[in-house]
Amino acid sequence: MAKKTYTDSAGKRVHPYVPEISDLYRRGKVSRRDFLHTVTLLGVSAGAAYAFADKVDGVKSLNPIRQAQAAEKGGVLRSAMRVQDMSDPAVFDWTPRSNQARGIVEYMTRTGSDNITRPYLAESWEANDELTEWTFKLRQGVKWSNGDDFNADDVIHNFNRWLDPSVGSSNIGLFAAMTTDYDTGQKNDDGSPVMGKRMREGAIERVDDHTVKLYLNSPVLSIPENLYNYPAAIVHRNFDDEGGNLAQNPVGTGPYTLAEYEIGNKCRLVRRSDGPYWGPEPYLDEIFYIDLGDDDNAAVAALASGQVDHIYELFIDTIDVVERLPNAVLHEAPTAQTAVFRMRMDSAPFDNKQLRQAVAATMDHQKILDLAYRGRGVVAENHHVAPIHPEYYKLPPLTRDVEKAKALLAEAGHADGVSLNLDVNNNNSWEVAAAQAFREQAAAAGIDIKLNIMPGAQYWTVWDKTPFGLTTWTHRPLGVMVLNLAYRTGVPWNESAYSNPEFEAALDVASGILDVEERRKSMEKVESILQEDAIIAQPLWRSVFTATSKRVQGYKAHPTFYHQFQTVWLDG
Amino acid sequence: MLVFLARRTVQMLLVMIGVSILLFLLLEIDIDNLAIKVLGPYSLPEARELWLTENGYRDSIVVRYFRWVGGVMVGDFGQSVIYRVPVSDVLWPRLANTALLGGLVLALVIPLALFFGVLAGMREGALRDRVISVSCILTTSVPEYASAPLLTVIFVFWLDLLPGTSNMVGGFQWQAMVLPVMVLVLYDFGYVARMTRASMAEVMTTHYIRTAVLKGLPYRVVILKHALRNALIAPFTVIMLQLNWLLSGVIITEFFFSYKGFGALLLEASLNGDIFVIEACAIISVVVAVGSQLLSDLGYAALNPRIRIH
Repeated sequence: MAKKTYTDSAGKRVHPYVPEISDLYRRGKVSRRDFLHTVTLLGVSAGAAYAFADKVDGVKSLNPIRQAQAAEKGGVLRSAMRVQDMSDPAVFDWTPRSNQARGIVEYMTRTGSDNITRPYLAESWEANDELTEWTFKLRQGVKWSNGDDFNADDVIHNFNRWLDPSVGSSNIGLFAAMTTDYDTGQKNDDGSPVMGKRMREGAIERVDDHTVKLYLNSPVLSIPENLYNYPAAIVHRNFDDEGGNLAQNPVGTGPYTLAEYEIGNKCRLVRRSDGPYWGPEPYLDEIFYIDLGDDDNAAVAALASGQVDHIYELFIDTIDVVERLPNAVLHEAPTAQTAVFRMRMDSAPFDNKQLRQAVAATMDHQKILDLAYRGRGVVAENHHVAPIHPEYYKLPPLTRDVEKAKALLAEAGHADGVSLNLDVNNNNSWEVAAAQAFREQAAAAGIDIKLNIMPGAQYWTVWDKTPFGLTTWTHRPLGVMVLNLAYRTGVPWNESAYSNPEFEAALDVASGILDVEERRKSMEKVESILQEDAIIAQPLWRSVFTATSKRVQGYKAHPTFYHQFQTVWLDG
Repeated sequence: MLVFLARRTVQMLLVMIGVSILLFLLLEIDIDNLAIKVLGPYSLPEARELWLTENGYRDSIVVRYFRWVGGVMVGDFGQSVIYRVPVSDVLWPRLANTALLGGLVLALVIPLALFFGVLAGMREGALRDRVISVSCILTTSVPEYASAPLLTVIFVFWLDLLPGTSNMVGGFQWQAMVLPVMVLVLYDFGYVARMTRASMAEVMTTHYIRTAVLKGLPYRVVILKHALRNALIAPFTVIMLQLNWLLSGVIITEFFFSYKGFGALLLEASLNGDIFVIEACAIISVVVAVGSQLLSDLGYAALNPRIRIH
């Protein structure tokens, strides 16, 4: 049978699934959000997608990327945020680092606060029907701040860096479908070789100056979204030859350059004057990050007295104060941000499944949400897929069952109860509160959890080693993304040492299904296996908060705190 | 006198060596984490090992210690892990900031505490003494972590008079000094005033004061000529001790107002295991501690002619 090719009104090839999902949408089979999400992932421009959806719904939506009407150019946006080392974007492990770099270097794609991914340095993209070959057309006429043209070599160089194990980039987990396993030459304790991942020969092809093609081992839907993951900023092709340090040599395609930089104190980005910026000029002349330390109250006091215009992140206990400040605006974003009580499968006593299930069965999710986060979020279900993810499959609700927990504990050989040490970092007070609430709940089944509360800096040196820890996980736009990052055998962020071939096979299937309904069905198995294996006990999905002064216009809180200041301007 | 100074200097050096060796040994336990901090948590073990070797961390501890001591002799404290610059680049500006803060605090605490302390101690048990004593106890018993938010609520959120943080990225701002200084003065002045009061009250009961009063000297002369000098000996020692407190005891205040001082630096360095910054801070603390003790001894001798330094 001849393969049918679909083209749009301009004669450009569109993915064969686009007409189908458009039809489903017209008939009310998929939600507006799922429709917008999927078609933009498949390369339809956000403008066209919104226009189609508006036509079907008979509404006039406010396109979130529309130009502001009364925007004023100029001014300095002062933001209270930690100022950290920003030498190499590929190894960023904290969002603040990426925000410092965001005005200088840019990404292939950009996911907005509405969960829709749009073109950025890539002008358009398309995938084959199997989702194993992705072609990215790069924007033409983009110039680096050193005068070079942006082209395919830059993109290829970045992929080479990300997938080179000696660089140590977490992107290697996200683009695992472009890697191959190799023997690192080291031995495990049992004498088996330690395997690592590195880029597979021929995983990326330079089609022409402005086209690259990715070849994957297995279907992946979230390639465009992966390209906006915070360590995926595109650096210049000579980045490594010219010192490999963005702070010392800030070459980028973005509209700003680095004017002042002092770790732990300040980072000032100013509009660059060496040649025009390829995109619409941002309104702000300068973005000035000011490090006020880890104390939330300092940032709020600074906002109250007009020393800053924006706060990177507000914790739940300070939102009341901000709501009462006359000159401040509180911004809330529902997210897939969470923290998981994760048990390391290779460490006793957590190598016993019944014990893990007993721990999980004692949890009263709603109660922890209410106690630790004032109910501002939704309950989670121990499988790390959030209701706001398009592929979320609703499993039967979890209920707390102390008797079952006791029985499981007895089966695991701990009929008289068990004592466990839990490492908790005190960066987020709600996590400490959640750990305390969970300790009470677990105690009812004879599980004595001893809390070992430590500063964040200390926790992050043991987060992937400790047998039992409460780890913060940030939001990702698709459910499969974090599963691919954290629950596959041997990926760097697999903090629980989880390894289940059945789960990975199910995840492979789900990660390759385009149809939202079909993918959701396939997630049933993925979510059930993870829930059943009880690798994590996960209480809640939380909303996040940021704040601005009333001067700041055109700002929307991003669920991952990624700063998108190109639409922001200052009043007066 | 010279012998005394020389002995004190040797003493100080010995303490410094002791402290630095202890810290070196203590931080030794964490050496692998240094590489993780520099290269990121997802770096390969081989890369970390290479970095540790290249930067000399795999040399024996003795070699490393003497290399570090050699550096300190010429003012090189090594490289900071979190700040990614030589330690002296962060240390000296931070120390200057804390010196400024501490200087302002002392400039207010000393006259206030001495004035009210002497005033209260002149007539022990009188109404004036009671009022001053109770006020001093009240201010001293409110810790900085309580008074800082309280004063912030009043002066920043409610009256809108002062800036809420004192990080001064935009350059020095005297308004930004007000709150941190106020918090520290409130906490400290009561203590010194109470010490002064006790000392003054004791002097007022001595025979020579009674004699002075009985031989008909004007009260003003009794206080200024006979009582004051003797009453100031004890508070002087207390004030010298405040120097140490102002160096590292101000951590909470500096953290709260994000004032970029020595205390905040020590806190960040300790949380992140930044070895050379911690070592440098410890050395500075020892110098200040021993130095203030020396000053206190010299001052003692000057105030009390009965004490002689050998």
